Amino acid sequence: MLHSLLFRHSSLLTRACSNGRTLSTSPASTSVGCVPTTHSSAVSKLAFFNSVTGDGSKIPNYRVLDTLGVPVEGAEVPKISKQFARQLYENMQLLPTLDDILCSGQRQGRIPFYATSYGEEATVIGSAAALADDDEVLCRTKFCVIYVFANSATAQYRETGVLLWRGFTLDGIMAQAFGNHEDSSKGRQIGVHYSSKQHHFHTISSPLATQIPQVAGVGFALKRDPARRSKNVACVFFGEGAASEGDFHAGMLLASTLPSPTLLLARNNGFAISTPNSQQFHGDGISARGPGYGMDTVRVDGNDVLAVMNAVKEARKRVSHHSTSDDSYVYRERQEVEDRKKNDNPITRFRLFMESRGWWNETDEEELASRLRRDVIKAFKRAETIKKPRLEDMFTDVYAEEPWNIKEQQEELVALLKKYEKVWEPWQNELGDLKDGGKKLSD
Amino acid sequence: MLVRRLRSTLLTLSRRWQTTASNTAIESPSASGHSSSVASSQLFRITRESALRTPGISWQDEESDRNIVGGRETRKMNLYQAVRDALSIALAKDDSAVVFGEDIAFGGVFRCTMGLAEEFGRERVFNTPLTEQGIAGFGIGLASMGHTAIAEIQFADYIFPAFDQLVNEAAKFRYRSGGHFSIGGLTVRAPTMAVGHGGLYHSQSPEGFFMGASGLKVVIPRSPIQCKGLLLSAIRDPNPVIFMEPKILYRSAVEQVPIDDFALPLSRAEILIPGSDLTLLTWGTPVYHCEYALRLLNSPPPSLAPLIPPSLRSAKVELIDLRTILPWDIETVVESVRRTKRLVIVHEAGMTGGVGGEIAAEVGKRAFLRLEAPVRRITGWDVPAGLQFEKFNMPDAVRILDGIMETLSY
Repeated sequence: MLHSLLFRHSSLLTRACSNGRTLSTSPASTSVGCVPTTHSSAVSKLAFFNSVTGDGSKIPNYRVLDTLGVPVEGAEVPKISKQFARQLYENMQLLPTLDDILCSGQRQGRIPFYATSYGEEATVIGSAAALADDDEVLCRTKFCVIYVFANSATAQYRETGVLLWRGFTLDGIMAQAFGNHEDSSKGRQIGVHYSSKQHHFHTISSPLATQIPQVAGVGFALKRDPARRSKNVACVFFGEGAASEGDFHAGMLLASTLPSPTLLLARNNGFAISTPNSQQFHGDGISARGPGYGMDTVRVDGNDVLAVMNAVKEARKRVSHHSTSDDSYVYRERQEVEDRKKNDNPITRFRLFMESRGWWNETDEEELASRLRRDVIKAFKRAETIKKPRLEDMFTDVYAEEPWNIKEQQEELVALLKKYEKVWEPWQNELGDLKDGGKKLSD
Repeated sequence: MLVRRLRSTLLTLSRRWQTTASNTAIESPSASGHSSSVASSQLFRITRESALRTPGISWQDEESDRNIVGGRETRKMNLYQAVRDALSIALAKDDSAVVFGEDIAFGGVFRCTMGLAEEFGRERVFNTPLTEQGIAGFGIGLASMGHTAIAEIQFADYIFPAFDQLVNEAAKFRYRSGGHFSIGGLTVRAPTMAVGHGGLYHSQSPEGFFMGASGLKVVIPRSPIQCKGLLLSAIRDPNPVIFMEPKILYRSAVEQVPIDDFALPLSRAEILIPGSDLTLLTWGTPVYHCEYALRLLNSPPPSLAPLIPPSLRSAKVELIDLRTILPWDIETVVESVRRTKRLVIVHEAGMTGGVGGEIAAEVGKRAFLRLEAPVRRITGWDVPAGLQFEKFNMPDAVRILDGIMETLSY
């Protein structure tokens, strides 16, 4: 494995070695030679370095549109149709519409928990649009119950956009938010912890970064499967705060040393709940870490949906074609939070671009806003009337089969219910909300 | 860093000991340790006939025994060879199976994966970077796609970085998805228990830490036949399984092991020696100290005889190997204790929070009025496994004997 990686890069390294082009500030004499087993050259001048770019500057952001939706100089504007652009835009708008209604739903106490994703619409929709519908996606949600951030671009994240892009219904979203019996996870998890096997969307869990080493295994499985090799990639999303966890490091190692079609997408929105980047890490963002693991890396303006789409598409293409390879590609995104909070809304940016093409106007905007709002509210109200899962589902799916201890404990609860359910109000109230009122359990 | 070097030093040290051994009656200690209880055990099935009569054995091939000329074959194997045999059957029969971990490719620090990379290729038998949490996470991801992921943690003492992945992710994987996602294909193997010279970080028995991780299974074999059958069951079980192999048994436990594909049942304890006066429940290495203790009880050597009341010497103690620790076979244990009315539980792991407490509580609940003595636990002390003190820390035959006598005469 190591040998093949070196082989691939040998021309570059040979050049570096023979030219004596090293990381020192002065050219090294070739007579100093190379260090055996590392393929890196030896130098005589002691010099420290602290930047992955040759000139010591920060890693630049890849961008297509500026903050006003105008293609930048030299921009690689993707050839997309009006219909596709509208699809991007509509999905981007659906996210804050959902956020508005579900967030206030939580404040009103109508749903137990919610996390918004304001400001990250371009990141997630752009990525989703660049992936295939059956690429495996692993995500996380970070939740911030501090409503101060609710309207800023620094809010917590969920990759619900991927699900929406792939056709997950509003009813499905609501089922998970309410934890009613239509929820595929049977009401077991708090809100925004989506799971959809059908949509190749792995179950979200609360511990951060645990999904990063897992994606390396998912990608490895894709590569080993003759039916999916060279067709699909595994993609993981995580925030810059999660990237501080040991699992990030472990995941990068596994993904880079074991060949697999794996993409790692880090969303850096400047804050992890209340912790700014300056308290989270000291290096040049998360992007600087990629080359440390030998991974091809790009930093992208996360508020630019076209830039995100281009970058993920390119990364995906490289990774899935080289299924017998080698490198996983790390893709980094970044938003300059403070500067852009006022000027740079990803949705606005793209709308301006669409308007410049004659693909969108004020009427379209009004119509979309009211339609989305209407659909979301309708789904919300419907979900509110749906009962919670059966009490029996507290005990099922722990193992593939039911072991004696769980069976006995279930029987114990049944006996307690028989004895107290009619006279103990807290239980009475709860049972009323359940699909079968606890009946199935007693049978 | 230092610890990792210590592992290779242990191997070197043990080879040096061989040249200076003065007492020819004692076997030279190997890297995977030596125990006189194991050496003198009668529990190993060392003939083909007895091996093929292993209780609960279930052949996993399509061959009917009658069609096999001369009957099924066995081969002399120690525990690590039995592990390797099981892994090679899994790899041969299941195209999705892969084996991975630190230093797996060259054969593994305990030789459990010898020759597998050569036979099945480096894409299926491979090294990972030095990261237990990465190994566990990677295995979970692989298993989530329906593949068979057989991970190795180099020593059970190092399973803790993987604890979050195992408890928060693996154990809850099926439940949190409403049953739509699962990782039954995950098996995590780790060498466990004391080895004679392991010290704090090469001797631990962490099975107790996982008792609260409902959704996981924990299995501990006592012998090569048991290891092969239980490991194959664990690999094929539709739940994630942690399989802990007592490292002191890797070389010292030797049996005739059937070479065919066979399974032994999970969550079923095995009564090794039937009895009527006391139930002695244990798993892994202490099985052999328990066996030895029973021999000392029944026919004590002259040095111990004065301390063993003759009235107790005829006691018939029922020895049970629990085998699967989670979920454990409560039926067999309770049925036994109802008959014998006394229970002694032995495990190497420390007293507090050890599996013995869980078993004692459940048995106490079900056999309270029948018990004629409190459930007795004989365990490691609540101290880390100090190198020079191992002989006084891990329960040995005399401590077990003493506990049995105390419980018999309560």
